Amino acid sequence: MTGRETMSSFKLGLSILWPACWTALPIKMAFAMLFMAMGTIHLETKLGITFLMLLMTPVSVFAFFVISLGVGFHFGEGTGLPLLFLLSIPIDIWSLGLVARTVFLERLRLEPPASLGVGLWVRFAVAGAIYLPFLWVVQGGATDLARSITKSILDMDMLKAMPVAERIGLEFTAWGSASLVVLVALTFVGLSILGKLVEGRAAAAKPAGDTYQDLISRWDMIRVPADQSLMLTAFTAAGAVLSLLFWAVLPVSTPHPHECCKPPTEAVAPSFDAQKSLSKGEKAFKDAELKIAAIEQRAAEDEKEKQKGGKDKAGVKEGSPKSDGKPSQSAAGKPAGSGK
Amino acid sequence: MDTTTQPTNTQPSAIEKVFAFVDERVGLKTLQAKMLNEPVPGGSRWAYVFGSVLLFIFIMQAVTGILLMFYYVPTADHAYASTQYIIHSVDYGWFLLGYHFWGSTAMVVCVFAHMSQVFLWGAYKKPRELIWLVGLALFGIVMGFGFTGYLLPWDQRAYWATTVGVEIMDKTPLLGDFMARFLKGGATPGQMTLSRFFVIHVMVLPAALMGLAGLHVFLFRKAGPAGPFRGTVEEIKAKTDYFFPRQIWKDIVGMVLVFLCICSLAFWEPVVLLEEATPDPGDYHPEPEWYFLFLFQLLRLKIFAGEFGQFLGAIALPGAFMALLAALPFIDRSPERNIFKRPIALIGWIVVMASILIFTVAAIINREFLE
Repeated sequence: MTGRETMSSFKLGLSILWPACWTALPIKMAFAMLFMAMGTIHLETKLGITFLMLLMTPVSVFAFFVISLGVGFHFGEGTGLPLLFLLSIPIDIWSLGLVARTVFLERLRLEPPASLGVGLWVRFAVAGAIYLPFLWVVQGGATDLARSITKSILDMDMLKAMPVAERIGLEFTAWGSASLVVLVALTFVGLSILGKLVEGRAAAAKPAGDTYQDLISRWDMIRVPADQSLMLTAFTAAGAVLSLLFWAVLPVSTPHPHECCKPPTEAVAPSFDAQKSLSKGEKAFKDAELKIAAIEQRAAEDEKEKQKGGKDKAGVKEGSPKSDGKPSQSAAGKPAGSGK
Repeated sequence: MDTTTQPTNTQPSAIEKVFAFVDERVGLKTLQAKMLNEPVPGGSRWAYVFGSVLLFIFIMQAVTGILLMFYYVPTADHAYASTQYIIHSVDYGWFLLGYHFWGSTAMVVCVFAHMSQVFLWGAYKKPRELIWLVGLALFGIVMGFGFTGYLLPWDQRAYWATTVGVEIMDKTPLLGDFMARFLKGGATPGQMTLSRFFVIHVMVLPAALMGLAGLHVFLFRKAGPAGPFRGTVEEIKAKTDYFFPRQIWKDIVGMVLVFLCICSLAFWEPVVLLEEATPDPGDYHPEPEWYFLFLFQLLRLKIFAGEFGQFLGAIALPGAFMALLAALPFIDRSPERNIFKRPIALIGWIVVMASILIFTVAAIINREFLE
């Protein structure tokens, strides 16, 4: 079609959000993989939902945290996940601006207003922070309700004899269809809201006055960088840096060893420090000298005691406390206060 | 002001001389013009990236497969141990194996996406019937890659999936018995089975794929791209551009995205082997790879019970479906390509995709009942 296109809010929202998501995704995926290689992201089993959240960061950037905190849904562990959402912000602003400018020019025949990307991103992100948690709760409730109704129907006596495979297929089809209808309806409403937000920006835009061929030329030039050589160089350099970083952080051994094949944990011998070893030896000698001196002193005192005891043996025997046959501390050879 | 012009250096550089030398003998400039200056009616689109992405995945599968072959031992008594060795002892071996494993999944997904795109765009219609037929053969080869590669780790999952698969093949009339006996190479899967699957996986199928992919690309270039299925002549003409640079750029982004997805999956869900293969399944419930799960679950339905039912579900129904796909360009002769003006095709595609999805999910839910 070559005339000005009249688009519904839903179609307008879809024609911007869908390509913007895919335009930004490869860049976000590069960071996601790098963080995974660094071990800063550990995703839970809900990989599909997390992937969808990442794909839709123009609307899910704040909703991700609202859902995590509000509903208690656990996407995964690690600092990489919030960091990834933070990095998504400039990427999404760029991709939304790029896509929206092409849509304004080619589909709406309007001059794209200034700072279209930032304006749309703020609107989309705020709308998503409110609408996506609502969608999450309603969708979850509808699915649970559909599942319980389907289960109660299939638990009826007349259907109890149904074979397992047929029952599973029928049950999933029934609640899955109901859940899908709700999801499609909610998505339609959500995209229509986004379309309305775009219409707000489009209302203030001036009509593009060029001929169709000129418009297409301008539209085409938006899609390619002004300085292609610079873009190619920057892209290659970024790719090379990311690749080097990836190989630097990629674990050499599997981060998920099997129980059967865990590598033996080898005790690493401490490195030999000659200075430390010498001072340790000197200290041992000094300690030994002190110990010997203490033993000799104790032995000399004992000798004196014996000699003294020989003179008034009878008197001492009566006055000394009972030893119960236990050796005294000094008799055990432990110098007082040595602590060793 | 000096108005005399400076003599320009017209001497070609060393690179230009080498290029001119090769060009004179090979015709590089003509080749470059043919490769890159193909007009894309209606301009470049993301929907057209699947063919290039598939080629990229195949090249990566070949590279990772060759690297894995340096360590893998295709014998019944060493296959399992060598796979464990790759995972646990070879530097980056766990990542290579994970990439190869998830690469095969990506290939199946992209084949489905590519076939769906061609079907929905009506790009199988005259004069592109042969491209469609060769594409169907390539689809069969990709499935063959998945089936033969699944046995190679030689764990319980591999062994029993292959046993079930070969038994299903046995039900094919005329050729089934021969095919099953040839693939198994004995009464039970063993060394001969592994050797044959390995040779088919690393030699027969890659050769067939390379040949047919070349033919596919040749036929595509001969007929030219079909272009969008809607839009005025003026619009399509205004938006038409060459394959280079826009479509190539999109193709590269598509390849990078697929590469990143495969790497992420290799991190998120690395290959974990079960116990070494034995002829006793024990507590293990045999199950094929996920892209055959829908067929597996279909065979669990009561209408497909018994000898005839199994033949119907495992051979007749998929065979008839493939025959219908092959005959499609000759049955659907209407020049209309807009999918929204072809309700039977649109409804048919939705039904097939929904059935595959429902039966695949049902097979996953079915695991709970088995455990």
